[in-house]
Amino acid sequence: MRLHEHEGLDIFESAGIPVPRRGVAGNTDDALIIAGEIGYPVVLKAQVLVGGRGLAGGIQTVTTPEELEDAAGKLFSAEIKGLPVRKLLVCEKADIHSELYMGITIDGFTGRPVIVVSKEGGVHIEETARIAPDKVISFYCDPAFGFYPYQARMLLRRLGIVERLLAICADVLVRLYRAFVQYEALIAEINPLVILKTGYQGGLLAIDSVIEIDNSALNRVKLPLPEMIERIENPLERKGREIGVTYVDLGGDIGIISSGAGLGMATMDIIGERLRPANFLETGGGITEELLYKCMELVMMKIDLRAIFINVYGGINPIHEGARGVVRYIKEHNVTIPIVAKALGNHQEETWEILRAGGVHVVTEAPTEIAVARLFELVGAR
Amino acid sequence: MGILIDDATRVIVQGITGKIGSTQTRWMLRYGTPVVGGITPGKGGTIVEGLPVFDSVAEAVKQTGANASVFFVPAAFVLDAFYETVDAGIKLIVIVPEHIPVNDVMRMRAYAAAEGVFALGPTTPGILVPGKGKMGIMPGALFAPGRVGIISRSGTLSYEFAGILSEKKIGQSAVIGMGADPVILTNLPDILSLFEADKGTDAVIIVGEVGGTQEEKAAEFIAEKMKKPVAAYIAGRLSPQGKRMGHAGAIVRGAAGTVASKCEALQTAGATLLKSPIEVLDWAVNNDIR
Repeated sequence: MRLHEHEGLDIFESAGIPVPRRGVAGNTDDALIIAGEIGYPVVLKAQVLVGGRGLAGGIQTVTTPEELEDAAGKLFSAEIKGLPVRKLLVCEKADIHSELYMGITIDGFTGRPVIVVSKEGGVHIEETARIAPDKVISFYCDPAFGFYPYQARMLLRRLGIVERLLAICADVLVRLYRAFVQYEALIAEINPLVILKTGYQGGLLAIDSVIEIDNSALNRVKLPLPEMIERIENPLERKGREIGVTYVDLGGDIGIISSGAGLGMATMDIIGERLRPANFLETGGGITEELLYKCMELVMMKIDLRAIFINVYGGINPIHEGARGVVRYIKEHNVTIPIVAKALGNHQEETWEILRAGGVHVVTEAPTEIAVARLFELVGAR
Repeated sequence: MGILIDDATRVIVQGITGKIGSTQTRWMLRYGTPVVGGITPGKGGTIVEGLPVFDSVAEAVKQTGANASVFFVPAAFVLDAFYETVDAGIKLIVIVPEHIPVNDVMRMRAYAAAEGVFALGPTTPGILVPGKGKMGIMPGALFAPGRVGIISRSGTLSYEFAGILSEKKIGQSAVIGMGADPVILTNLPDILSLFEADKGTDAVIIVGEVGGTQEEKAAEFIAEKMKKPVAAYIAGRLSPQGKRMGHAGAIVRGAAGTVASKCEALQTAGATLLKSPIEVLDWAVNNDIR
């Protein structure tokens, strides 16, 4: 679960990392009050869960209440990369001397947290890592051992940081690691950590946060935050989460239901050769009659859907039960668009019978391409 | 001999009394797998699918000579059960469940490595050796004995490839699900090395997907160590940025983890790229694989 910037800054603050004075506003009036308490100039930052927010106009510095009213009004009525702006973070403006990047993520191949620091902070860290890897210092730590200030100093020294600044930056990095572990994060980033021109706040400020918590650990991390589901902006994707499946809106007009993530992605790619998939939908291992009924309902919510393609395997899933849900939905809602299904594995014959009785075009060969060719025929794609 | 499962294998099922555990035990037995018992703490002494249930792994090992374990344990209890299983001396462990916290997986991985345990998953369909047995959830009817190895991140896509090949009478030596989480217990190159060393395998298919770097690392292994032909398919070309595509590990962030990056690495390493699964049949013909 990706956290909003202001939620991440709260976590940083509780971890003892210096953060700016700030407040969260749901409307322009609140933003004015917060800015009045902080003192101008302030920075207005749209709280949207998308990268590249600054370049898309989601961050504005204002020096007077009049400027704030104008900028906040525009931000609240704007969309940043297609997402509505519901909240603004109002922050004190930092007096920036220079910037650092600090990030921790998990390296899948070594199975270890990897700590990354760079002097090239700001928005271009990924690009820096690609074109000038020597400017980005990485360290794989042993999670059983932990991460200690001497290691942090060693890394930061390699960036040329010395003396008092070395100690205080190392302290921030160790605190970031502790928060990373405590909140079972997959990503924790300070980008940038600002070195101030004055000694205010000890001379450092973490002015942006990126934190993503491991979804599988959410029930034991116990954050006092809004639920994951409230962060999903797309109503269809939200509905998918509600019924317990993964739904990704792809914007096209051919619905997909699959019983596995890999199969679903392959199906999406194969259909995408000639048609535009409306969605990716993956049921996971929990197929029941009721679940596939709800999947049909969800996929059919897409306007102007031309056809549905069902691709399921009976491994862990009772696909014959799922087939009953599909057919019940077709009958109750008098579905007339073509539905093509490939269903193989345990209980396959029973599944085919049920689907055929419901008017579904059943393809029994193993390759998905053959079943998709049938779909192409039925919708006249060439 | 088969990869990982052979005549000496004695399998126990952890979480055997659950709905999925008992159903899958029945399918494993029907497939001819040497399953010798199960574990559910607190339900020792009962019988499931004709097999004895034990309270502890140590007891099951003592009574049955078990040396392999497959997990159908709820995610929250997997770490504990894993440590118990390793401590009981089991050397092959398959973790089928999904949604296990990455922190737990990192610990299990380090412990397995330290104790010399071969572990697969989490989020794996398991292992199937045609004609020998299976540990996990793969639907047996789709597989046939033969000489092609399959390693897949996705369960359903491993069935797809096996199904396509079996339909044309091209059998498999072993099919292994590597797991679809951001961290897995055994990396793809280490699984590839099993097939490279296996006398019953002539060629290997890697079925990957977006996210992570396992396929890129496999490419390095192929370039440096593999002599057998390798074909690779990577799913998720049309995955939007930043969206998790059903598997915890299937996410594209910037240029990392894309189908393009994986395909380029694998092709440079000498693997045959399959643009669509059905192309595996042409590859088999071109490499004279039967």
